[in-house]
Amino acid sequence: MKKILVANRGEIAIRVMKTASKMGIKTVAIYSTIDRNSPHVVFADEAVCVGEAPSNESYLLGNKIIEIAKELNVDAIHPGYGFLSENADFASEVEKNDIIFIGPKSKAIEVMGSKLAAKEAVKAYDIPMVPGIEEAITDPEKAKEIAREIGFPILIKASAGGGGKGMRVVEKEENLESQMQRAISEAISAFGDGSVFIEKYVGSPRHIEIQVMADTHGNVLHFFERECSVQRRHQKVVEEAPSAVLSPELRTKMGEAAVRVAKACDYVGAGTVEFLLDEQHNFYFLEMNTRLQVEHPVTELITEVDLVELQIKVARGEKLNIKQEDLTIKGHALELRVYAEDPMNDFLPSVGNLETYQIPVGDGIRVDNGYAEGMDIPIYYDPMLSKLITYGETREEAIELMIKAIDHYQVKGVQTTLSFGKFVCQHEAFRSGNFNTHFVKKYYTADALKTEMQEEARIAALMALRQYQEDQKQLRLPTH
Amino acid sequence: MNATYKVKVNKDFEYTIDQEEVSKTDIIQTSDSKFHLLDKNKSYHSEIIQSDFNNKKYSIKVNSNTYEVDIADSLDMMIAEMGFSVGASKQVNSIKSPMPGLIIDIQVAVGQTVEEEDYLLVLEAMKMENIITSPRAGTIKSIEVAKGDAVDKGKLLIEFE
Amino acid sequence: MNSKIKVLQEKIDQAHLGGGKQRIEKQHQKKKLTARERIAYFLDEGSFEEIGILVTHRTTDFGMQDEIYYGDGVVTGYGTVNGRLVYVFAQDFTVFGGALSETHAEKICKVMDLAVNVGAPIIGLNDSGGARIQEGVRSLGGYADIFHRNVQASGVIPQISAIMGPCAGGAVYSPAITDFTLMVEDTSYMFVTGPNVVKTVTNEEVTSEELGGASTHSTKSGVAHITSSNDIQCLEDLKTLLSYLPQNNKETTKALPYTLGDEKRAVLADIIPDNPNKPYDMHEVIGGIIDEDSFFEIHKNYAENIIVGFVRIGGKSVGIVANQPMFLAGVLDVNSSKKAARFTRFCDCFNIPLLVLVDVPGFLPGTDQEWNGIIVHGAKLLYALSEASVPKVTVITRKAYGGAYDVMNSKHIGADLNFAWPTAEIAVMGAKGASEIIFRKEIKAADDPTAKLAEKEAEYADTFANPYRAAQRGFVDEVILPEDTRRKLIKGFSMLENKEIHQPKRKHGNIPL
Repeated sequence: MKKILVANRGEIAIRVMKTASKMGIKTVAIYSTIDRNSPHVVFADEAVCVGEAPSNESYLLGNKIIEIAKELNVDAIHPGYGFLSENADFASEVEKNDIIFIGPKSKAIEVMGSKLAAKEAVKAYDIPMVPGIEEAITDPEKAKEIAREIGFPILIKASAGGGGKGMRVVEKEENLESQMQRAISEAISAFGDGSVFIEKYVGSPRHIEIQVMADTHGNVLHFFERECSVQRRHQKVVEEAPSAVLSPELRTKMGEAAVRVAKACDYVGAGTVEFLLDEQHNFYFLEMNTRLQVEHPVTELITEVDLVELQIKVARGEKLNIKQEDLTIKGHALELRVYAEDPMNDFLPSVGNLETYQIPVGDGIRVDNGYAEGMDIPIYYDPMLSKLITYGETREEAIELMIKAIDHYQVKGVQTTLSFGKFVCQHEAFRSGNFNTHFVKKYYTADALKTEMQEEARIAALMALRQYQEDQKQLRLPTH
Repeated sequence: MNATYKVKVNKDFEYTIDQEEVSKTDIIQTSDSKFHLLDKNKSYHSEIIQSDFNNKKYSIKVNSNTYEVDIADSLDMMIAEMGFSVGASKQVNSIKSPMPGLIIDIQVAVGQTVEEEDYLLVLEAMKMENIITSPRAGTIKSIEVAKGDAVDKGKLLIEFE
Repeated sequence: MNSKIKVLQEKIDQAHLGGGKQRIEKQHQKKKLTARERIAYFLDEGSFEEIGILVTHRTTDFGMQDEIYYGDGVVTGYGTVNGRLVYVFAQDFTVFGGALSETHAEKICKVMDLAVNVGAPIIGLNDSGGARIQEGVRSLGGYADIFHRNVQASGVIPQISAIMGPCAGGAVYSPAITDFTLMVEDTSYMFVTGPNVVKTVTNEEVTSEELGGASTHSTKSGVAHITSSNDIQCLEDLKTLLSYLPQNNKETTKALPYTLGDEKRAVLADIIPDNPNKPYDMHEVIGGIIDEDSFFEIHKNYAENIIVGFVRIGGKSVGIVANQPMFLAGVLDVNSSKKAARFTRFCDCFNIPLLVLVDVPGFLPGTDQEWNGIIVHGAKLLYALSEASVPKVTVITRKAYGGAYDVMNSKHIGADLNFAWPTAEIAVMGAKGASEIIFRKEIKAADDPTAKLAEKEAEYADTFANPYRAAQRGFVDEVILPEDTRRKLIKGFSMLENKEIHQPKRKHGNIPL
């Protein structure tokens, strides 16, 4: 494998290319017209414009990307996450053209890409599941019927979904129809597939996921868990590894379950098995993500592996040369997704120009970053600027380092989730480890953030007033 | 004379501070624009990033955050109390796009009467659908965008009668 | 405290209180700021230096010797606006209702004299019930002293009046002579004789607001150049206006820093409608030419068939005179001619280059116009544009017909650069009218006169409804693409920067007043 095309943009494109370069593999970037200035384009050895800004006219044009790969004699395509990463047709099309797809076989993507098919596939493998229906529906009347059966609250989920898109919690029957329509329309626009299904909404769950890696020689390893319970709009913002609540026994149990899920679909490469963990520490299989996850760095830090490197090696047909019992957890890692969003205003996207943009550096700090000072944030893609990751010997150390790193992360021009991240890190519930996916709903309001800032703001007021009084003393002359 | 000021920080916080309070605060200057403060024994590092004396606006960095500070003296407060404002518009008669995005659905038509909080249109930005609701009850006078339009921040979307 | 210092402090404190707390309260209830508050808001923070704070009146009639207030009803002095020196006087309604006494007038004259000698603008904030009648003729003398200075200062330094309360009787003539009059809505009025006298003399029932409020003067009479919604908007408007003006007639307005780019403006290409009889908004053309958001319009709601105002082009302050096809097809009439003529002369006084945008079908016909002297008033605009020696540039966007073509800054009356857009029609009159005259006999004789007229009209339009005849003769220097207009203007005004015209010595010209 001499040359890899990364069919993605932003931080993940750079992340993949860095490992490729380290392994002596040349890199090819693709970009849309609006992304010409993006760091991933500058970083790559070669770069090709695939089309206009909207992602369905650029980053989602599978066939065009394959054409480019062929023209440039690319050996393998890494899809990153999002875009084409879980598109089975694309994966099989890549393979048909004698290019290696760095990821699972298209069959596995297809099975796990449909939540219903996924449930079906793992049935025989003794994996606990959340109650719900097992077929996709579009008829609201039928949905009401089923919902009544399972009991509200229920969760509507896009069958092809991910990242919180096309997902709606419905508390009352009268809201079901409108919420279902929104979920369907969002699912169509995001995934081109409007089928949704319904399941019981688990009360106060934690979101725990297991990183797995499988080679083509039948070896499947798990790399422990990641705790992703701090979410807003059903999207993760703060992730960590390991989880503060898993006992070694439960960890092993969940890890083994994850390995069985991977085996259920003949999985190859890096994947993530997501579970819900309820208050009694029962876990339920949620879904399997057949790609490298956004939050993979926390796992890399505590296990000292390079997951992208392993992905590439597996794709080359190499055997995993690690044994499960050799893998141990060292220290604690924390990740904050730095989104261009306004935490004071309902996490609405905050678009603009990065007038100031300086990322923190230091021991134990890793920033997977896709932006640079002076850049505009395009409206067409996910508003994630970077991932800020910290590592410490203990959880406390990682948290304290995160607070420090946030303080040194300078962004002006857009609002970001940095202040929210600091709020989380300073919150008693998070620090104690006693929290679930309702963290944001339960503890966070714009006012809470305000209180955090209040003291500093008052100091700023005093400073300004003092300066104003100094300025008043200054003698000034008129100009003519 | 102990003048009192109303100080707004980042438009989110407001404090009433008098001159005495400022002079009592333990502030030392550590370099040209940098200061160290002790407030209730807590230590703060501060820096004056920008100052606009004439408009009484200052940019102040405290620890790692920068705050925009607006000072109002007694005259400013009185002007605000009298309800004077510069370039003020009277009623919300139009809805402008709060962010750049794509119009993916319009749920009202010209001439339609709407209630406050009714769905007007759906604006997609960064792959999220944002529902724009009506700020007040009224009748739609015009719709300035069509489904599928890409709009800039501040673009006029809907006008009320 | 040293007792002498204490005495001074007490005097100052008392002066600052004007007519006392109660009257200040009353002023506020009327939605008006006091004289000192206005000055504090208007001038740069801490820049005000008061002159004559301890002046008091000398009247002893009618018990006036017992009513003494420091400052005597007017606050005068100097300060800065955005760092630039200005002189200011603000009448204090809390003291004798701002009534003008001999000493009050002396204070105003003192700062006016300084302003002229130093060469800096003078701003008057008017809020006065009129003459101090207890003083009789001495008060009248005070007014006239001010008027005379207004006239002497005219064209030497910018003089601006803000009417922020009553301004009645003789008092109105000072604002009338100054360069610009601003009025605050609802709280200000101006008239020579008030509603009571009007009722006695003419039996007309009219309110102060109807007779001389801000809306009356900004739409009907044209006395007010700018109306502002409240006191602070008015003071902000004053500051904005000042930013376009130089300090005096020997200077030019300092350009704002501006970094040149390619300066093409594609929006200009799509403004003129295909149908020559369809109106469009000349403001759009202006918007496409000038620096972003730099248009400060004068006489916005008066004689709307012509637009005048200040803009920045490449950072430089420029005065614009433009026909407005949206109103009366942009025709010239009595009011629009007067409006544009006065604005033109102001710009010429203070070295502000002129840009004239032309889309004019001619002069407005009719008895009303003729009997009201459109001949003389139209001549004012002709005189003013012809006389102006500042850089003068013309852009013809569409129609330039007849005598109005000559008037609207044509080459012949001294314009330095004349541009035309490809949509320009420069002719003696519209094609229809012209063919009716030229081909009268032919049309009459034709079997189908209507068809013949249409044919001849098309022929005439083909020949003259374009800018090329004028360009052949050099009446138009260049026919330009609309999108290049801004480029051409920035370059043109830069080229003309050092323009100087030497005229034979004369006392002054005799503009047809």
